[in-house]
Amino acid sequence: MASGSTDKRVIVIGGGLAGLAATVRIAEAGIPVDLFSLVPVKRSHSVCAQGGINACNEVSRQQGYSEYEHFDETIYGGDFLADQHPVLEMANWAPRIIDLLDRMGVPFNRTAEGNRDLRLFGGSLFKRTHFAGATTGQQLIYALDEQVRRYESEGLVRKYEFWEFLWPVLTDGESAKRCAGIVAQDMRTMQIRSFRSDAVIMATGGCGLVFGKSTNSVMCTGAAAARCFKAGVFYGNPEMIQVHPTAIPGADKLRLMSESARGEGGRVWVPAIKNTDGSWGPHPRSGDDPKTIPTSERYYFLEEKYPAYGNIVPRDIATREIFDICVNHGMGVAKGNQVYLDLTHRDPEYLTRKLEGILEIYEKFVGDDPRFTPMRIFPGVHYSMGGLYTVFTKGRYEPANPLAKHKSGSRPPLGSEIGLGMQPGAMNNMMTNIEGIYAFGEVNFAYHGANRLGANALLSCIFDGLFCGVSVTNYIRDGLPGKKPASGLPGSVFDEFVNQEEAKQAKLLSTVKSGASAETNPYAIGKELGDEMTAACTVVREAGRLQQCIANIESLKGRFARLNLSDSAAWTNQSLSYTRAVGDMLSLAEAVAKGSLARRESRGAHYRSDFQQRNDAEFMKTTLTKYDPASNSVSVEFVSIDADLIAPAVRNYGKKDDSSPKAAAKPALSGV
Amino acid sequence: MTTVPASAATAAAPGFLEKHHFLLRRLHSLTGIVPIGVFLVAHLVTNSSLAWGKFGLRGEHAELGLQGGGAYYFQKEVAWINNEVPHLLLIEITLWAAIAFHSIFGVYYALQGKNNIARYSYQGNKRYALQRISGYFGILFIFYHIATLRWGWSFLVPGGTAWDHKFAVSTLATALRGGESFTAAGVAVSIFYFLGISLLVFHFANGIWTAAITWGLTISRQAQERWGYVCAALGAGLMLAAWSALIGALAISPADARKSEELFNKGKGAAIVAPAGPNTAPNIR
Amino acid sequence: MSTHTPVDPAAIARMANRKTAKAGRTVIFRIKRCDGPGKPSYWQDFKVQVPKNANVISCLQQIALSPVTTGGQPSTPVVWESGCLEEVCGSCTMVINGSVRQSCSCLIDDYAPSEGDTLTLEPMSKFPVVRDLWVDRARLFNNLKRVKAWVPIDGTYASGSGPKESPEDQETRYVLSTCMSCGCCLEACPQFNVEADESKWNTDFIGAHAISQARLFNMHETGKRLAAERLEALSGAGGVSDCGNAQNCVKVCPKRIPLTESIAAMGRAVVFHKVKQFFNR
Repeated sequence: MASGSTDKRVIVIGGGLAGLAATVRIAEAGIPVDLFSLVPVKRSHSVCAQGGINACNEVSRQQGYSEYEHFDETIYGGDFLADQHPVLEMANWAPRIIDLLDRMGVPFNRTAEGNRDLRLFGGSLFKRTHFAGATTGQQLIYALDEQVRRYESEGLVRKYEFWEFLWPVLTDGESAKRCAGIVAQDMRTMQIRSFRSDAVIMATGGCGLVFGKSTNSVMCTGAAAARCFKAGVFYGNPEMIQVHPTAIPGADKLRLMSESARGEGGRVWVPAIKNTDGSWGPHPRSGDDPKTIPTSERYYFLEEKYPAYGNIVPRDIATREIFDICVNHGMGVAKGNQVYLDLTHRDPEYLTRKLEGILEIYEKFVGDDPRFTPMRIFPGVHYSMGGLYTVFTKGRYEPANPLAKHKSGSRPPLGSEIGLGMQPGAMNNMMTNIEGIYAFGEVNFAYHGANRLGANALLSCIFDGLFCGVSVTNYIRDGLPGKKPASGLPGSVFDEFVNQEEAKQAKLLSTVKSGASAETNPYAIGKELGDEMTAACTVVREAGRLQQCIANIESLKGRFARLNLSDSAAWTNQSLSYTRAVGDMLSLAEAVAKGSLARRESRGAHYRSDFQQRNDAEFMKTTLTKYDPASNSVSVEFVSIDADLIAPAVRNYGKKDDSSPKAAAKPALSGV
Repeated sequence: MTTVPASAATAAAPGFLEKHHFLLRRLHSLTGIVPIGVFLVAHLVTNSSLAWGKFGLRGEHAELGLQGGGAYYFQKEVAWINNEVPHLLLIEITLWAAIAFHSIFGVYYALQGKNNIARYSYQGNKRYALQRISGYFGILFIFYHIATLRWGWSFLVPGGTAWDHKFAVSTLATALRGGESFTAAGVAVSIFYFLGISLLVFHFANGIWTAAITWGLTISRQAQERWGYVCAALGAGLMLAAWSALIGALAISPADARKSEELFNKGKGAAIVAPAGPNTAPNIR
Repeated sequence: MSTHTPVDPAAIARMANRKTAKAGRTVIFRIKRCDGPGKPSYWQDFKVQVPKNANVISCLQQIALSPVTTGGQPSTPVVWESGCLEEVCGSCTMVINGSVRQSCSCLIDDYAPSEGDTLTLEPMSKFPVVRDLWVDRARLFNNLKRVKAWVPIDGTYASGSGPKESPEDQETRYVLSTCMSCGCCLEACPQFNVEADESKWNTDFIGAHAISQARLFNMHETGKRLAAERLEALSGAGGVSDCGNAQNCVKVCPKRIPLTESIAAMGRAVVFHKVKQFFNR
C-alpha cells in the first residue's frame, strides 16, 4: 500500500453512543473507520439509558436557566472533582447536540404544539431533560447506529462486530511510545490478528461487572480499559463509582429503575412510626401490603430531609439515605434492603404515556404493576465516573479568579459560544497519556467528577464523539508523530503483539480441566470478586475494610494464576473470553480499592465513614492510578485538577438538618 | 455479523421473475379476485339454484317439487349461459389462463414459505397454512372439475358418465354418484367435491382479506378486523351457496333430474340447442 | 389489566404460575447444542436449582459455574448471546419451549413452576448457528441497509433543530423506533427462512422488522427524501409483496410494534409508488 492520506485509518473500539458518534464524525471527514465491538453495535449498553439527555433549552432559558448553569450544576453535582473547562464546553454544546439528534430523527417526546417536551431530573430545579419515551438511550443509539450504517454502506466504515479488543499495539513515537493499532480476536473463529491504525479511540464504557451484579450489560467488564491500563494508560478516579439509588434487585443483574420515575413525581418512603420527639422508628408491619399502611405511617425521608429537592436529590445522596434507612436504621421494607418508590398517586394513564418502558420492565421482571403497587427498590452499582485518564486544551474563557457558585436567575458570566471551554479540534482533546489512544464516553474519566448527574451521561458520550472526533481527525491529518502512518510500519511491530496475545491464550487453554473446584474456577473467581467489591467499595467505605478488600483481591489474583478453564474449544470459546476478562478486571478492582483507600475524605459517590468530610486542600485532585507490569500491581497518586472557573462550595443540596444520622462507621457488608 | 461482503450487495443481473417481481405479485393477487373470484361468486350462486331454483320459477312447473324445480331452473341457467353469453369460449380461455397463472405462481410463491403452525398455532398462522393447503388442493380439484365436466375426460369419472350441458343436472348427479345410484367411487368423488368447493371458498374469502392488506386498503388493526368480518360473512354466504349446490346435486336422482331437463328442453330451450356430443358441447365450467 | 400485559393469552396464563412456583425446586434445562457451523446438533440436559424470580440467564450462568449434565457427564458452559438483560438490546433471543423470545425476560416460574419440570432451549432456526444458542443475525442488519433505514442528514455540524412534529406522530414513530432488531418476527415468520448464501440476502424476503423501519423513516420529514428508494427496494424481490400475512410477527414482537400495520402501510405506499412510476416514465 502506498502511503497517502487514504491509508490513514482510525480504529474505534466500542459501538455505544460515544463510539458511534466518533465514527460518524470521523467518517464524515472522509477518514475510514474500523469499528470494533463485542456485540452488534445496536445492542451496546447505551440502550439501557432510560431517562433522558440534559441541555439548556429555550423554555428553561426564559426561566433564567443557561448553559452556564448547566455547567455549574454539573461541577457542583460532581462535588468539584471534574476538570472544569471540558465540562463548560460540554454544557455549551448540549443544545446543539439535541438539535442534531432531532435532525437524525430521534422521536423526542413532543408538546401539543409539536415542540420537544422536557422533564425534571435530579440535580436541577429546571426542566432541562429531553427524552424519548422511557428509552432515550435506545433511541439515541439507534439514530447514531443508522448514520453509521449509512457510512458502512458507502464503504467508509468497516464493522468488526463480535471482535474483542485484546491489546494496543505500541511503537516508538517521537518522544514516547505511540499507538499504531490493536490486536483483536474474532470471538467466533477465535482468530487473533492485528489491525493498523493511526489513532485508537477507546469507547468501551464502564466496568459494572467488576462489582458482579450491577445495572450494566454483561459486556461491561471494563476489560478493554483494563488492558489499556496494563499497557500503560493511566486510570483516573477509579474509586468514583456511582451507585444508582433505585435499582430492582434480581438474580442475574440489578435492573435500573430510571431517575425519571422520581422526576415524574415518584415518592420514596418506608413504613415507619413517628415517635413523640418527631423522629421516626421501625414499623411493626413493614412487610405488609403497602396499600394498608396509612399516610401517617409513611416516612417520606427524602422529602423531609431535603425540602428543596425532595425526591429528586442527586444520586449519591439518595443512595446513601436509602442505604442509611435500611442498613443503619433497619427500617427497610420487610426489614430487608428495600424501600418503596411510589407512583401510585399519579394518574395511571399519564404514567403509561410518560414512563411505559420502564414500568414495563418492573412488571416484567417482578410481576407487579407499578402504577397500582409501589415498587420495591434498592441502590445498585450503575456508572463509573472514573476511567482512562485524558487531557485537553483549554478554550478561550480564563477568568482571573474562580467565580462563586452560580445562583439561578443571576446573569451568567459568559455566553455559550463554541470554544470557551475547550479548544475545538485541538489534537489532544481527550487523548490519554499514550499518544494516539483516545478515551471517549464512560471509559473517559472526564466531566462527571465524583458524581454524575442524571441524564448527563448520554450527553458526555455524544459530546466526546462529536467534539473530540474532530480532534482525532486533525491528529490523523496533521499530528502523526514523524508523519509516518501505521500502514507504513514493518509487520514485525505488529507480529510481536499478536504473538504475545497468542501466548497468553495458549497459557489459558493449557489449564483446561473439567470439574475444577471453585478455588480455580474462573466463574467462581469472578463472582467472588463482584461480591467483595460490592461489599467493600460501594456506598460506604472504610480503611480497615478496604485493606481487607485489597488483600482479598491479592488472593484472588493468586487463585487466578492457578485457574482451570472449563472449555477447550477452538471455536467460539466464551469461557476463554470471560476468563481473560476476569484477569483484567482484577487489576481494575485493585485500582478501585486502592483509590478508595488513598482518598481519605468523602466526596460525591465516594463516602468514607472514617473521613466523612470533604477535604479540598488535600483531595480536590484527580486520583491517578498506574499499573506496574513487573509487580502486577497498582500504584496511586494525586494530580491537580483544572478548577479555574468555579470555586468549591459546600455541596449539600439545601439539606435541612445537617446533623441527621450519616451512615455509621461500620463497614457496609450487605449487598448493594 | 461483522462486514457484509460486497457480494451481498451486488447480485447478478436480475432475471425475468426478479425484474417483474412486483407486477407478477400484484397480478397474482389481482387474478385471484378478477376474474377468478368474480367467476367463483357467479358460479356458486348459479349452481346453488339446484337447491333454491324452485322458488326462482315463481310457481311455474310446481309439479316438479323442490328438487325437480331446482333442476329445471338450473338447466335453464345453463342453457342461458350456453346460448346467450357472447364470446363464451374467449371468456373461458381467459378464465383458464387466469387460473393457470394464479395456480402456477401461487405454487411458486407458496413453496418459498415454510409452515410452522406446530410452533406458532395462532389463528392467523393457521389461516396462512390453510390458504396454501387450499391452494394446492384447489388446483387438483379445479383441474378435475374442468377436465371431467368441460373437456369431457370421462375416463376420470367413475362410471364413465360424459357431461352433457343439455342434461346438466343428471350428468352431474350421475358423476357424483358414480352411476345411477351411489357407488363407493361416487362417494369419494362427492367427498372430493365437498372438500374442493369448501377449501376454494375459504381460499377466496381469506384471499380477499389478505389482498386488502397487500394492496394497503386496510392498514390499522381495527380496519383489518372489520374487513375480516366482511370477508367472513362473504365466505359464509359463499359456503352456503357451495354446499347447497352440492346438496342439491346429491339430493336429486339422475332419473328425476332427467325429467326436469327433458321438460325444459322440450320447451323454449329445445329449439336452439344443437345435438349433444360428449366432447364438443359448449358448456358450463 | 395494564397496557403492557402480553398479547398472547398463553403468556398471561403462564404468569399465574408465579404465585405457586416454589423456590429451590429442580428444573431440567434441555438444551440443543452445536459445536460449530456444519457440526451436528445434540441435546444435553442440566439440572438447576431455581431460586424465586430466576430467569433463563441466571440459570445458564449457574450451569456455567459447573457444567455437568444430568447423566453426570462433565460438559462445557453453554454459549449464548446476551447483553442488557432488560429486554432492550435483543441479544439473548432464543427458542424457549418451542417459541421465540428473549431469554432474559423469561422467568422460570412462568414456564416450569413444578419440581422436575423441563424447559427446552434452542437456537433460533432462521439464522446459521455459531455455537450452541448463538446464531449469526448478520442478514437481519443487512436488511436494514436494503431499505436505507436512516435519515439522510447533511452532516453532524450544527444547523438548527429538526422538524416540528405532532405528539401523535411522535407516538407512532416512537413505537416503530423501539425495534431492537432481535429477530423474533423473522423466526416466527413462515416466509422468512434460513439462508446461508449471502448472495441471496438481497432478494430473499426482507422481513417485518425492515418493512416497519422503512415506514418509520418514510414518516420523518427528512427521512422522506429517501422514500422512493425505500419503496423501490420494498417493491422488488423479497419486498413487502412477499409477506404471506400469517401475522405471526406481530404476535411474537416483544415490543408490540404494530408490524402488520406497517406491512399494510408499505403495501399501499408501494402501490402508489409503482403507479406513479409507471405514469412518470
